[in-house]
Amino acid sequence: MDSTYLKRIIKTIGKENVITEYEDRICYSYDGTFQRGIPEVVVFPGNTGEVAEIIKLANIEHIPVSPRGAGTGLSGGSIPEAHGIALVLTRMNKIKEISKEDLMAVVEPGVITGHFHQEIEKMGMFYPPDPASLKTCTMGGNVAENAGGPRAFKYGVTKDYVLGLEVVTPTGEIMRTGGRTVKNVTGYDLTRLLTGSEGTLGIITEITVRLLPKPKDKKTALVYFDQLKDAAKTVTSIIYEGVIPATIELMDRVTINCVEKYTKQGLPLDVEAILLMEVDGSPAQVAEDIQIIEDVCKRNNCRNTEIASAYEERERLWKARRAVSSAIVQLKPTKISEDATVPRSKIPEMVKSLKEIGTKYQLHLPVFGHAGDGNLHPNILADKNDHDEMERVEKAVGEIFQAALALGGTLSGEHGIGIMKKPYLQWELGEVGLNYLRAIKKAVDPNNILNPGKIF
Amino acid sequence: MEYKYQDILKKCSRCGGCQAHCPLFAETGREPYVARGKIELIENLQASNIQWNDRLAEIFSTCLLCGSCSENCPNEVEVVKLVQMSRKDLMAARGLPIIKKNIFQHLLKYDGRLKTVGKLLAFYQKSGVQKLARGTGILSLFPMQLAEKERILPRISGKAFRDTYPDETGLKSPRLKVAYFTGCVTNLVTPKVGASVLKVINSNNVEVIIPKQYCCGVPALASGEIGVGKFLAEENIKYFKDLDVDYIIMDCATCLSTWLEYPELLKSQDAEHLAKKVMDINRFLIEVIDIKLNPPQELGIKVTYHDPCHLKRTPGGKSNPRELLKHLNPNYQFVEMALADRCCGSAGSFNLTHYDLSQKVAKHKIESIAKSKAEIVASACPSCIMQLNHSLQNSGSKVEAKHVIELVAECYK
Repeated sequence: MDSTYLKRIIKTIGKENVITEYEDRICYSYDGTFQRGIPEVVVFPGNTGEVAEIIKLANIEHIPVSPRGAGTGLSGGSIPEAHGIALVLTRMNKIKEISKEDLMAVVEPGVITGHFHQEIEKMGMFYPPDPASLKTCTMGGNVAENAGGPRAFKYGVTKDYVLGLEVVTPTGEIMRTGGRTVKNVTGYDLTRLLTGSEGTLGIITEITVRLLPKPKDKKTALVYFDQLKDAAKTVTSIIYEGVIPATIELMDRVTINCVEKYTKQGLPLDVEAILLMEVDGSPAQVAEDIQIIEDVCKRNNCRNTEIASAYEERERLWKARRAVSSAIVQLKPTKISEDATVPRSKIPEMVKSLKEIGTKYQLHLPVFGHAGDGNLHPNILADKNDHDEMERVEKAVGEIFQAALALGGTLSGEHGIGIMKKPYLQWELGEVGLNYLRAIKKAVDPNNILNPGKIF
Repeated sequence: MEYKYQDILKKCSRCGGCQAHCPLFAETGREPYVARGKIELIENLQASNIQWNDRLAEIFSTCLLCGSCSENCPNEVEVVKLVQMSRKDLMAARGLPIIKKNIFQHLLKYDGRLKTVGKLLAFYQKSGVQKLARGTGILSLFPMQLAEKERILPRISGKAFRDTYPDETGLKSPRLKVAYFTGCVTNLVTPKVGASVLKVINSNNVEVIIPKQYCCGVPALASGEIGVGKFLAEENIKYFKDLDVDYIIMDCATCLSTWLEYPELLKSQDAEHLAKKVMDINRFLIEVIDIKLNPPQELGIKVTYHDPCHLKRTPGGKSNPRELLKHLNPNYQFVEMALADRCCGSAGSFNLTHYDLSQKVAKHKIESIAKSKAEIVASACPSCIMQLNHSLQNSGSKVEAKHVIELVAECYK
């Protein structure tokens, strides 16, 4: 990198906020995938003005910039694949405003999602998006990737809560989109365009989100099924009855066996599926909903049902689900976590296809995930040092995507396209769709500065 | 790095979950200082993309070995082992810093010399012959102000604890017999803790032997000087293996955790056998002795408890010290504080080599202690207690850090 350019960056944001040593830069070459790209420099701007300044400089020198939050992404979105600058937004981590009157909050992109949850819940409010990495991941990253989570079934995903943004454009200007109101149809909906744009269309420097009142009560049910199809039917029946649980999590037999081997909590090993469901709302509503769920489960031949309302008891029921991640890596160390999503009614067919793909390529492929919104997480367990196996993984992943698309689903429910799913994008969008994306990108980023090579 | 460590490495998925639990990441916000960054660097070292150099030495020395990351890791990556083994590789590639080499090779391996240095240091501190220390240049190796260095250095006791007490206490018909591994800090810095242990144990009709012993080896092991660590472990095993005792008790959580690693380090049956007898003093008093106390006065002094990283993950490591403190009611009133099990930032010599960062980590603890309104913070690891007292003084607090056993001993005349 040109040393005069580096000097200008250092002058803009201070020496202590610029990393140039190779060993340190290696630590910004990764995210939650096995993709890598070592940046030439890592910068930690402290405010919007500094971000804009860096982007302007990058445009003069034609240096690519990859925005980054906590680096927990699962699609390679923040990997500095084109080297250049890794622009880390974690220093911009202030919660600027929480308004109970307007039910909204304004945050900087580096605010940690879990920390934001705590702060607003103290005030009796609720922000539903809850990606699994919430203790670490940032609000900016959540918006850039349009993150979801188990509560998406009832409450939707990040885009359903973003009201407005402040963005540094790919050419270094500062722009505001949306605002503080739920209703806003002024101009194109740029807020939605930027939410899920994976750092290619702008750098998010401030986020306005809407909030909900915190639900007053919660109940959890853990239900065992001898037949997977009965579990799947239960999910559809519950919705038929007009109950929308906050979460419906499914675990298949392979997953249950792994968890039991690991936690020894006494799960039955001969069941084909476990459903973990949580309802929230007013105490009366929750009581009624859980009763309906229990009845539906019984009608659908469940083996037995455990119900809990106290926090400790609910946590006990969640224990199996929370142990899944650690349990399955006991099979093989490298976990390839996919998030192909299908319409809810197609879950049984998708599970069947996944099993067939696993057998065909002789891979460990436990299935668990958010059954309520069709966002199953097929996880392939492999060993990244076993090249033959990794080749089979690649083929299996391709087939998983084909299966999801054939069922009317999508490549990615919540992880994003990034680098990982880029080769498959055309299957879903077609040439016309891809060209539309390319045209937008070219119009706003003529020098191809922001996160080049991502998505398409 | 040995093969089994490869398996640990492979488990890390780079999910970044460690960021939420690492006290050093909380202060620095930088990836090289969190487990995932170090693991990426280890893999790059193994692939020969990078070689050990000053920067890597600094990065790998910047870890408290507190294990919070592993404890919360979904894949249970054993980060402490990886960092220790990396320090070993670093040492093999570049050697130890001169100061540490001298300490390990010439002091720790000879109990007598360590004592002599202790006496010199005590003389220095009492007589104020500052030229002595300034002249040797030892203090200049640590990056902080001279005044700070002199203040954080432990106030060495003039006489080593083990020299002031007989090897056996000689009870007539004791209900149990234990060997006491005192650890270096109790021996050289806080003999009062040792005296408290003896008083409490004897009062419960348990015979105590204080055998010849060496440093447990942790300063060497944590720095990657595995050879010296093994030597010390073997010496200790030698002096303890033929004793006819029911338990080996310790007041230091760090010594305890090191002893628990002896079997893996030495792969000997003796080590395996002895590690089973090792027991923290709190656990011994609660679980074995089932101690009954008659606290003397009704003062109701509020006491809170700090979990040493090395104790909290052992069986009953969290519950027993608290249980013991509750036994001191009404003399002492136990209050729980927030972040009780967060690392205090001491981490052996980390508080000397990374003074500012260590104090930043401690600050959270000091704030928690203040919020608890406790007048005393009890703990069960002498080095945590030294760090806590230093940081409390820094913040102008009147709270004092003490070993749990010191408070228990007050119940006995």
